[in-house]
Amino acid sequence: MLRHTAERLLLAIPVLFGVLLLGFVLMQVVPTDPAIVRAGPTATMDIIEAIRRDLGLDQPLWRQFLIYIGKLVQGDLGVSIINNVPVTQELGATIGPTLELMLASLIWAIPLGILMGTIGGYYRGTFLDRAIMAVSVAGVSVPVFFLGLVLIWLLGFQYQIFPFTGRGGPLWTWEGIKAIVLPALTLGGVFVGPVARMTRSSVLDVLGADHVRTARAKGLPERQVVSRHALRNALVPVVTLIGLQIGFLLGGAVVTETVFSWPGIGRLAVGAILSSDLPMAQGTIIVLSLGFIIVNLAVDVLYAVLDPRVRNA
Amino acid sequence: MSAPILDIRGLTTAFKTRNGPIKAVDGISLTVERGKTLGIVGESGSGKSMLSLSIMGLVPPPGRIATGEIVFQGSDVLKYSPAEIRDMRGNRISMIFQEPMTSLNPVHTVGFQIIEAIRAHRKGSERELRKEAIEALRRVQIPSPERRFDEFPHQLSGGMRQRVMIAMALVCEPDLLIADEPTTALDVTIQAQILDLLRELQAETGMAIILITHDLGVVAQVADDVAVMYAGKIVERAPVGAIFDDPQHPYTIGLIGSMPRMEDDVERLVAISGVVPPPFRLPVGCRFNPRCPFADDECRASQPALVEISSSHAVACWNAPLEEHA
Repeated sequence: MLRHTAERLLLAIPVLFGVLLLGFVLMQVVPTDPAIVRAGPTATMDIIEAIRRDLGLDQPLWRQFLIYIGKLVQGDLGVSIINNVPVTQELGATIGPTLELMLASLIWAIPLGILMGTIGGYYRGTFLDRAIMAVSVAGVSVPVFFLGLVLIWLLGFQYQIFPFTGRGGPLWTWEGIKAIVLPALTLGGVFVGPVARMTRSSVLDVLGADHVRTARAKGLPERQVVSRHALRNALVPVVTLIGLQIGFLLGGAVVTETVFSWPGIGRLAVGAILSSDLPMAQGTIIVLSLGFIIVNLAVDVLYAVLDPRVRNA
Repeated sequence: MSAPILDIRGLTTAFKTRNGPIKAVDGISLTVERGKTLGIVGESGSGKSMLSLSIMGLVPPPGRIATGEIVFQGSDVLKYSPAEIRDMRGNRISMIFQEPMTSLNPVHTVGFQIIEAIRAHRKGSERELRKEAIEALRRVQIPSPERRFDEFPHQLSGGMRQRVMIAMALVCEPDLLIADEPTTALDVTIQAQILDLLRELQAETGMAIILITHDLGVVAQVADDVAVMYAGKIVERAPVGAIFDDPQHPYTIGLIGSMPRMEDDVERLVAISGVVPPPFRLPVGCRFNPRCPFADDECRASQPALVEISSSHAVACWNAPLEEHA
């Protein structure tokens, strides 16, 4: 198990390198010149040239990339071109709120999705099942920003129950909880549908399995048959899906954070990319891709917890 | 003779389809005596598994029991409330299945699954239950049961898994065990071991067994009485000796003829041509007539009822007893 985990971690290094390269190339495609951005609207050509030299932008691209990687290995992510703040410091300040938002979204969305999927699968073909599936399909199809805007309009503007801009404070305070409700509803809302659908088809599959018939033949109450023998086995593919979906969730976080002015890493990324803040954008990309890699690693480990057959393989 | 432990009367299990109901089990009546083994024989698709699931109340939807009575220990199972049925399963009637590979849940330990079966019917402390489960494993002759207790099904061989299934089925000491093709998926040597084990356990506990199989060799080894099923109906019913010495239904004769035998020097085995007709395309008259070498106009016109030709031997054939026509 430990070796398996270590192998996966090693495998993450080339992936991360690819992500860095891709991010670097993409930033070159952006038409704005960071030196001009930094110099401001009134600067002369000489000043821009000087800044360009200063930032290393006059070097050939491959050289810029190598220098960047070299610094990165030493833990130096550079400083923001825009406001001279070290990138690591900005990342450190924004990662907390993003994790907070993720947690607040998943903590209700995953159980709800699994519950809905299980009920749908168990009562297959009934009105209840159809209603649940209709809601999930809607959940899959509605874009994050749209759901966010509707929630803002309804609960933030019409009824003014929850605030909809910024973070109200740490999660354990009342203000903090109130402020996170709308973003968490938005981000979690797009997560319920896929989880519910996957759980439903997986539960349907397992309910027809021989061991479920055995469980019934033992005289187990239906509730235990479903929870211990159907859902428990059905969770294996669901966990895989959740792992994959978290990648989308990171993308959704970028949108959600922008819509709700949530001071997280997604909003930082958008700001950095829009202002051609190369080191900052690269930093956020690294963190987001690291997040994706770690989640997938966690899924692998969870797999072994859920399915004993994987443990010894 | 005391009352039979199980008395099935006119049981019909039907599946609702677009083309009307399809009867997988069609008006079957049979009895199982206390402490005896009834072998139910038939090809795939003859409805024998559906019969056993009907007794357990486990007919998969859209199937349901249309008519009949299943009188178990004096009361009709079909009139039970869901809670009563649940209490009956695994406690008074247990069942083991054909596929030991898939019949155990791969994500729970063997021990957990046995304890679950006990706890479904009575309470007990964790330690007591564990002891009981280990004892159950020992009873089915699983070596080092303490170690096996914590293992997962995939760590066991097919024969071991079937032993675990038997241990689980018998842990609450049921009065009737339904074994649906318990040895079909196993090697021949393991088959014999499992059948021996079932016989020993029966002698020990005095339970009745319904053994469902397509293998007449298995029936010859363990059954006291035999019912031969064809296309949802019982075509012949007799004590095991009579079935082999004096088979009356052409189908039974065909089944026996298709059994390989050591002592006879036969060039080819006699095969029954064709397959069991699907329940939605049953022939008019006797259901076996398209495959029957003795079929005449009467067989093609109307269905024979199950008639007793002696006190314990019943057969559903217009030509029975065969001697008269020979």
